[in-house]
Amino acid sequence: MAQETLPTQGVNTIIEAIDPREARLGRAAAVFRWGALANGVVVALILLIALLSGLGVIPGLFTAMHQLLLGRTAGADDAAVAGTVLLIQLNITALMVLMVGVLAREIWGMLGAWLLALVNLVGLFALGFTPALLTVITAVWAGVVVGRDVRAFRLNPVMLKELRGRMRGARAFVVLTVYLGLMSGLTALLYLVYTPASRATGSAAAGEVGRVLFMGIVGIELMLIIFIAPAFTAGAITGERERQTYDLLQTTLLSSSSFVIGKLESALSYVLLLLLAAIPLQSIAFLFGGVTELEIILSFVILTVTGVALGTIGIYFSAAASRTLAASVRTYTSTLVATFALPLVLTIVLDILTGGIRTLSPVVEAVLTYIDDILVSLNPIATALNTQSLLINQQEVGFWAHTLASDGSTIPRVSPWISFTIIYLVVGAILVVLAIRRMHQVEE
Amino acid sequence: MELIIETKNLKKRYGKFEAVGNLSLEVPVGSIYGFVGPNGAGKTTTMRMLTTLTRPTDGQAWVAGHSVTQEPRAVRRAIGYMPDEFGVYDDMRVWEYLDFFAACYDIPESTRRGLIDDLLELVDLNHRREDMVDKLSRGMKQRLSLARTLAHDPQILILDEPASGLDPRARVEIRELLVELAKMGKTIFFSSHILADVSEICTHIGIIEAGQMVAQGSMDEMRHQLMPHREIVVTVRDQETADRVKSLVGDADGVVSASIIEPKSGRSRVRIDFIGDDDGVAALNQNLHAAGIAVMGFTEETKDLEAMFMRVTKGMVT
Ligand SMILES: Nc1ncnc2c1ncn2[C@@H]1O[C@H](COP(=O)(O)OP(=O)(O)OP(=O)(O)O)[C@@H](O)[C@H]1O
Ligand SMILES: [Mg+2]
Repeated sequence: MAQETLPTQGVNTIIEAIDPREARLGRAAAVFRWGALANGVVVALILLIALLSGLGVIPGLFTAMHQLLLGRTAGADDAAVAGTVLLIQLNITALMVLMVGVLAREIWGMLGAWLLALVNLVGLFALGFTPALLTVITAVWAGVVVGRDVRAFRLNPVMLKELRGRMRGARAFVVLTVYLGLMSGLTALLYLVYTPASRATGSAAAGEVGRVLFMGIVGIELMLIIFIAPAFTAGAITGERERQTYDLLQTTLLSSSSFVIGKLESALSYVLLLLLAAIPLQSIAFLFGGVTELEIILSFVILTVTGVALGTIGIYFSAAASRTLAASVRTYTSTLVATFALPLVLTIVLDILTGGIRTLSPVVEAVLTYIDDILVSLNPIATALNTQSLLINQQEVGFWAHTLASDGSTIPRVSPWISFTIIYLVVGAILVVLAIRRMHQVEE
Repeated sequence: MELIIETKNLKKRYGKFEAVGNLSLEVPVGSIYGFVGPNGAGKTTTMRMLTTLTRPTDGQAWVAGHSVTQEPRAVRRAIGYMPDEFGVYDDMRVWEYLDFFAACYDIPESTRRGLIDDLLELVDLNHRREDMVDKLSRGMKQRLSLARTLAHDPQILILDEPASGLDPRARVEIRELLVELAKMGKTIFFSSHILADVSEICTHIGIIEAGQMVAQGSMDEMRHQLMPHREIVVTVRDQETADRVKSLVGDADGVVSASIIEPKSGRSRVRIDFIGDDDGVAALNQNLHAAGIAVMGFTEETKDLEAMFMRVTKGMVT
C-alpha cells in the first residue's frame, strides 16, 4: 500500500486562523510584513544608488535622488540620503512591531497603525519624504482591515497572569522600596563624595553637581536594566517548560505571538515601573541646575530602548533553549559580547589599523567616522555619554554636519541616540519574530 | 458508527526507536474509550500526537474531523487535554488559574466569571476558590486540571492517566466525574494502567503494546474476541447444594467445566467455565432457579479484564 506522505507546510506559518476574525488579523499582519519588506528594498536601492554616485560611476544620480526622496530639506545631498534611510528604518521597525502586535491581538497594534500613517503623512508634507507614501498606504490598508473588528482585540491573558503574580502581596512594594532606597543611598553617596572634591579644586559650580548626580543616577539605572531586563525574560518560556505548563499552553488557542508579547509586556512594564519610580530622584539634579528637560527625556528613551531590546534577547534565547540556566547564560553572554566586547575590540582594531596612517583620504575618513558611530550605537553607555557630550558641546540632538579633518568638507552625522534606538529596536523586532517562530515549531 | 478520533497507520519514531508503529485508532462519538497498555507502550506518545504537541513521523490522524498536522488550531479547539505530568503556577489562586486558561481560549471576560463558578461546582472545588493552586492536594489539582480542560466546552477530552497517584476514594470521584461528563455528551479518551477503572466505566477499549494496537472495540466485542471463556461463580448455602449445582450445569450448553472451589465466608461456591453470550448466561441462571436451588450469588468474575490484559500483553515488554 502506498504511504501517503505527510504534508509539513501549514505547521510553520505563524498563525492558522480558525475563524474569520483571525483570518482578518492574519491578512492585516501580512500587509505590515510586505510593507516592511518593501521599505527594506527601498533602503537597499537608495544605498546602492548613493554608493554608485559616491564612487563616481553615475555622478548625477545623487542630486536627482535628493529631490525625489526628501524634497523640502535644505543642506547637503548626503544628509538627505542619510535622513531618508534612517526614517525608512524607523518605518520598518514600526511595521514589524505592529505586525506582531496585531497578531497578538494587542489594541496598540491598531492604534499604532493609524499613528504611523499620520506621522508619515506629516513627514510627507513637512519634509517631502516620498518613501512615506509606501508606509502610509500599508498602514492605512492594514488599519482599515483591522479597524473593522475592534472587538477582536483584548487584554493579553499572559500579561494579566504575570502581573497578577508579580504584584501580589507585599513583594512588589518591597522590591520597589528597596530599589528606591538603594538609588537614594547611592545618590547621597555620590553627592558626599563629589562636593568636597570639587570644593577642593575650587570649581564647585552648582550646575556641575547637578550634572554629576544626574549622570550617576542614569548610570546606575542603566546598569540595573542591563542586568534586570534579560533576567525577567530569559525564564519566560523555559520557565513554563520546566514547570511543565508549556504543553498546557500549547494545546490552548493562545497564539505564540500573544504569548511572547504578553511575557515581554509584563517584564517591560515592571522595568518601566522602576524607571518611572526613579524619575523624581533624577529631578533632584534639577535643584542644582545644569540639567535640561531634554537630557531627562533622552536618558529615559535610551533606558527604555535598552530595556526593550535586552528583554527581547532574553525572550529569544528562552524560546530557543530548554533550560532557564542555559537561556540566561546565552542571553548575558550575547548581550555582553554585542554591547561591550564587540564594540571595544573593533574600536581597538580600528585604531591599530588606522593609527599608522598619517593622512586619510576623505572617503576613508568618512567611512571610519560612520563605523565609529555605529560601534558607539551598539553600547547604551557609550551612546548616553556621546549623546550628552554632543548636546552640551555642540547643542545638537539630531542631525548635524561634521567637518572632515582631511579636506574640510562636511558629512552628515546623527546623534548616537537615534542610531542606537533604530539598531536596538530593529534587532529587537527581529528577535521577537524569531522567538515566535521558534515557539510555533511542533516538537519532532 | 461515527468516529470522532481516527488515525491511519500513525507512526512515531525517535531516532531508530519506534515508539508508536502503524497505529489505527477508532474512537466513536460519545464513547468512553479506555486506552490501556503497560509502561512504555506508547500511550502518552499517541496522545501527544493527537493533541498536536508532537508531529507524527508518518501516517494520518483526524480529531473531530480535522487533521492534526494541517489544522492544529481547529483540533485544539475541539479537545481538552490533561497530560500525565503537569505543573501548576505557584503564584496563582484557583479561580485565577481557570480564568487564565479560559482567557487563553478567547472566552470574553464577561462570561468567564460565571463559567469559573460552574466549573468549580462541577469538580467540587468551590470552597477552594481563593486558595493558592500549588497548595492544593494532588487529587484536588487533578480535579482542577479536569475543570481546566473543560473551560472551552470541548467535544473531546483526552486524559493521560487521570487517576494516577490518587487514593482509592479520589479515584472513584474522578471516575464518577468522567461518567458525568460522558452524560453531558463529551467523548472521553483516556489512558490507564488501572484496569478496574477501565472495565467499570468504559464503553470502548483499546490495548496497545510496544507501539502496536493489539485489540480494540466495544467492551462486548473485546470480551468475545479475547475472552471466549467466561467465568461464573455461583454462591450457595452449603456443600450439598453446591454439588447439585455442579451436576445440574455440568452438561448444559456452552459449559466447559464446573468445579467446586474453596468456600468463602462460610458459603460454598461453584465455578463455571462458560463459552457463550449474555443470553446463555441468563439462561443458566434461570435453569438454576427453575430447579429450585436457592442461589445466594450469581456473578461473572470482573477480573476478566485483568486476565485479558495479561494474556494479550504477555512477554511483550519493551
Ligand atoms: N521524547 C522522546 N525521545 C525519545 N524516546 C521517547 C520520547 N518520548 C517517549 N519515548 C519513548 O517512547 C516509548 C513510549 O513512551 P510513552 O511515554 O508513550 O509510553 P506510555 O505508554 O505513556 O508509558 P507509561 O505508562 O509509563 O506512561 C518509551 O519507550 C519512551 O522511552
Ligand atoms: Mg504515559
